[in-house]
Amino acid sequence: MIRPFGSAAYRIAFTYSAAFALAIVLLGAIVYVAADADFRHQQDVGLAVETRDLAASYREEGLADLAEAIGTREQPSATNGYGYALFDRSGRRVAGALRTRRPAPGFGTIPFIDPREGPDIARALTTDLPGGYRLVVAQDTENVERFDRTILSLFGVAFGLVVLLGIGAALLLGGYLRRRLERLSAPARAIVTGDLDRRMPVSAGHDEFDQLALALNAMLDRIAQLLDNLRQVSSDVAHDLRTPLARLRGQLEAAIDGPREIAAYRTGLKRALVQSDALLGLFAAILRISEIEGGAVKRTFARIDLTDLVTDLCDSFAPAIADNGRTLACDTAPGLALSGDRELLAQALINLLDNAQHHTPPGTHITVAAAGDAVTVRLTVADDGPGVAPEDRERITRRFARLDSSRGTPGHGLGLNLVVAVAQVHGGAVTIDDNRPGLRVTMTLPRLAE
Amino acid sequence: MRVLLAEDDAETAGFVAHGLRELGHIVTPAAAGEDALHLGIVETFDVIVLDRMMPGIDGIEVLRRWRAAGVTTPVLMLTALGGIADRVSGLDAGADDYLVKPFAFAELAARLAALRRRPPISEVATRLEVGDIALDMLKRQVRRAGREIHLQPRELALLELLMRHAGKVVTRTMFLEQVWGFHFDPQTNIVETHLSRLRSKLKGDDGAPDPIETLRGIGYRMRA
Repeated sequence: MIRPFGSAAYRIAFTYSAAFALAIVLLGAIVYVAADADFRHQQDVGLAVETRDLAASYREEGLADLAEAIGTREQPSATNGYGYALFDRSGRRVAGALRTRRPAPGFGTIPFIDPREGPDIARALTTDLPGGYRLVVAQDTENVERFDRTILSLFGVAFGLVVLLGIGAALLLGGYLRRRLERLSAPARAIVTGDLDRRMPVSAGHDEFDQLALALNAMLDRIAQLLDNLRQVSSDVAHDLRTPLARLRGQLEAAIDGPREIAAYRTGLKRALVQSDALLGLFAAILRISEIEGGAVKRTFARIDLTDLVTDLCDSFAPAIADNGRTLACDTAPGLALSGDRELLAQALINLLDNAQHHTPPGTHITVAAAGDAVTVRLTVADDGPGVAPEDRERITRRFARLDSSRGTPGHGLGLNLVVAVAQVHGGAVTIDDNRPGLRVTMTLPRLAE
Repeated sequence: MRVLLAEDDAETAGFVAHGLRELGHIVTPAAAGEDALHLGIVETFDVIVLDRMMPGIDGIEVLRRWRAAGVTTPVLMLTALGGIADRVSGLDAGADDYLVKPFAFAELAARLAALRRRPPISEVATRLEVGDIALDMLKRQVRRAGREIHLQPRELALLELLMRHAGKVVTRTMFLEQVWGFHFDPQTNIVETHLSRLRSKLKGDDGAPDPIETLRGIGYRMRA
């Protein structure tokens, strides 16, 4: 059961509607005050104009003309709606039909007797004329009041409509938000109960909910990848370490069963030592890849001058590669920097150089190139050796992947896997292409601005 | 030399103590953090081997308290944790060197010998002389019996490391750490290649004797 006020979605929608209704009330109040003031001002202007006309006719034509003018204006056919009264010095009404007592000069509200409706009040302008006369021009306030009532009732209706529409819209919006959120929480509950392959639905709209769903999916993918990684490491350790362990055992067994001489024992033990060192190396490599894939190394990332690093490694490795009968040429663009771990990047490049010399025949030309554009740096190691068949290119980046052609060469099949892990932890990727002839491996990494 | 061996694993402690005694060192074992902390403060040692994970007070904490108490004895930290962050935290706590288990005993012995306090003057020496070889670090100039030898920067760094530890073993991993800054084994022969180039340059065309000894499976040593 949905409790509308226990739900953030409904609370937001209702608050929004209430704010809208309050805005209507404020708007109504402002319109009411402004219109009322304006209307009353206009009424006063009308009274003043009327008074000025009558006063002018008195000054120019005299009392008789004034009385006549008042009489004319009071004709039932007249539409101006004014009432008039002219008082003499003693306070007696000498002209005009307005039944009121003589008021004080100036604007004011006066009581009068309406011939049809009885006692009423009116807005009046009272002016003293020469000769002790006092002219009153008045207008019933009912016009203003009627106008005010119209404004109030209009806004009252509008307020009611807004409140009704607001409640309706709030219920709709709240329901919509709940439905969208429910579409995210249902898969989350499914994942909790073990359906790890479930993902958040993403609609075509790309709104905030879709952004959230995408972010959650990316997070779930990462978690799944880490879990997968963990499973992979466990199964690698279980399967791929069996062979070297069995070999170690075989060597120890052979040493014990062999001739009972110190020299023979020493030879057997030395072999076993070499074998166990290889095993430890393998363990170290697996753990290192796991550490990199875990991403904790990012915390110690610093600005790395890739140009320096690559130049340095080329200088260090060119002699060793030359001694192995291959050549190394380096082409490094200046000013390449990125945020990363110097040792990991060095290890990745060393692994690529290692591959390039161990899986190629003597005489192979190896080239290292570091180049960059505005946002990325590309570190490429290429050779003109036998290359790798297109169908095997994806496979060789996996853990313990060794092609049949390389069974006889040293290595444990983790070199490229580490390169991929290093590229990924730096936010980059590895691509493997045909160098026509040979193999070309490229690490593309995010560049750090100068 | 006098070595404090703070290691809780009886098997590791046994084989390290045995090996060090074979080499003529005096070994004082400690199997718990409190014992190691106490011994390190009240007794004087030339070097300390400290296991990172010990019962009671752990190795990092022991080291921190020693340093706080003014114990400046060089410390080599042993650990089963080989991660990058682990090494950084060990060095931050004041360790002078860091060795990840499992390790070869020869590696440990070479590193302990290198850690032993040298006379302070040689720490900052810019001119090194071993036998007929002279190295001027400021001019980056090497002479053997008066003849100038041109070396690449890496070769110069290798030679400097060997000369600073003249008469002592420098292992492959020590070269990788101190000359290249690599705390991993790149599984390649760069050390060997550069050393072989250095040696042939030192020997020169007239076939002077090789000043560097190779100790198979252990490392290299400059004849003092």
